[in-house]
Amino acid sequence: MHDLQAPLVGRRRVARDAFVLGFRAGPIAREVRAGQFVNVLLRPGPLLRRPFSVHRTEGEIVELVLRAVGEGTGRLLELREGDRVGLLGPLGRGFALDPSAGRVTLVSGGLGVAPMPMAARQARAMGLHVCWVHGARTAADLCSEWEGDEICWATEDGSRGVRGTALEAVPEPAGQVLACGPLPMLAALARRWPEAQVAVETVMGCGTGVCLGCAVPLTSGVYTRACTEGPVYRAGAVAWERLPAPAHAGWET
Amino acid sequence: MSDARDGLTPAGPLEVGGVHLATPVMAASGTFGFGTEVPLCDRRALGGMVCKGIFLEPRAGAPPPRIVETPSGMLNAIGLQGPGVETVIREYAPLWATWPFPVLVNLNGETVEEYAELAARLDGVAGVSGLEVNISCPNVERGGMLFGQDPDLAAAVTAAVRVRTRLPVWVKLTPAAGDISAVARACEEAGADALCAVNTFVGMALDVRTGQPRLGFRTGGLSGPAIRPLAVYLAHRVAQAVRIPVIGIGGITRPEDALEFLLAGCRAVQVGTATFVDPNAIGRVVEGLRRRSTPDGAPPGHRLRPA
Repeated sequence: MHDLQAPLVGRRRVARDAFVLGFRAGPIAREVRAGQFVNVLLRPGPLLRRPFSVHRTEGEIVELVLRAVGEGTGRLLELREGDRVGLLGPLGRGFALDPSAGRVTLVSGGLGVAPMPMAARQARAMGLHVCWVHGARTAADLCSEWEGDEICWATEDGSRGVRGTALEAVPEPAGQVLACGPLPMLAALARRWPEAQVAVETVMGCGTGVCLGCAVPLTSGVYTRACTEGPVYRAGAVAWERLPAPAHAGWET
Repeated sequence: MSDARDGLTPAGPLEVGGVHLATPVMAASGTFGFGTEVPLCDRRALGGMVCKGIFLEPRAGAPPPRIVETPSGMLNAIGLQGPGVETVIREYAPLWATWPFPVLVNLNGETVEEYAELAARLDGVAGVSGLEVNISCPNVERGGMLFGQDPDLAAAVTAAVRVRTRLPVWVKLTPAAGDISAVARACEEAGADALCAVNTFVGMALDVRTGQPRLGFRTGGLSGPAIRPLAVYLAHRVAQAVRIPVIGIGGITRPEDALEFLLAGCRAVQVGTATFVDPNAIGRVVEGLRRRSTPDGAPPGHRLRPA
């Protein structure tokens, strides 16, 4: 784990209101695995750090994908090249790819694209066939970048690909399923593929397992920490009805 | 030049309320886990730590959302999730016994007898250097009133713990007390070795889109820089009310913040929420205090003039 001051080195738009920001943070870029995250400190800025899944790495560069939903993300999008942020990471437990699966399906809804490029690369490096299924509200909201062997789109308005959610666009057999996206999508996915691995988004404090603020309820009755035992869970293990969606615009002041 | 009565302490080792601290800056309960969770913290700077608050039995904790950021602060309602005392004794105390800084256990109960029982179980356990009694808990025998809101109840808890242990007993005061000076004196008379001032302030935040509380538990404890002036004031009042040492807590982020509490009459401080943001917050506070220390170890010369 590293706590670095990382300069912004690049920024590009990948959907109507989604941007990829690249920060130079070599030690984190070298260690991070798909599904892990960094906790970002902005000064001046809100008191607490903001957690982001690592989207891709490119050499020394750690890429994050975000949309302006509150003070933290708004400030991040105002950064200029060379501006520094604090990056704490890599944090959490990432995806565990099964080399014997043969085929892996990545299912992402909206900003759930976040951990997928890294997952696609790691899976391909293991010789797995990678099918990426990505859904969003409209064609303009779909992420314009993808990685893997095949891509399937889904939009709620049918403006591109299958009309419906990413879930409805998954070709069978899916093989090993990795998913990230809105909680209702993940809850539905858990009913279909309880063994799928899902990256869960929660409100988070420290990111290192101390504050117990990022509680994720399991069907076994216990709470776990998204930052430490997660953010990747077996889909069937999460008590989805007791996990509130992070109210982005609400929880940021 | 400078002694305890000045409210100024050097950045080096000192004895406070029966506990030998490596520096005057400690980790506050609930912000340092059981000492194994915080990475990247310079442990040589750590004066001591207070572990996550425990009850006799394990607790599942409160439903999420458990934290909400507010201006310059955060509200939390974790619900004291954690292992019970047996796990602490079996799994953590043996580790603590090997560490170079003291560990105090934060005690919680729903009845006076629960606090007393916890104190008895921890008495003589190697690795436990003291007890910090959290009297911000609701008393289920008195309709949920916080023990720390009432001098008699606070004294009853303190006395019950005192007679069941040979360990130093610190009492962590709640800002919800009507007259915190009276509660402080009651705890002192009941045998407390030191007082910690203060715990979080109860607060609430609502989501205006849903009309619902933003915390699963509805209310929570406010911490962070937002409470610092309130906490400095209360710590100062407590320090004026008692002869036993006071440990200041509330929104300390920078070395200057710690100095404020020391000037207000505290012998040591605890850093809490800042550790969530910067895992080495305590290291930076201690480093700053060292830079401000004169060669004889005391911070430079001003002292708080009597009002």
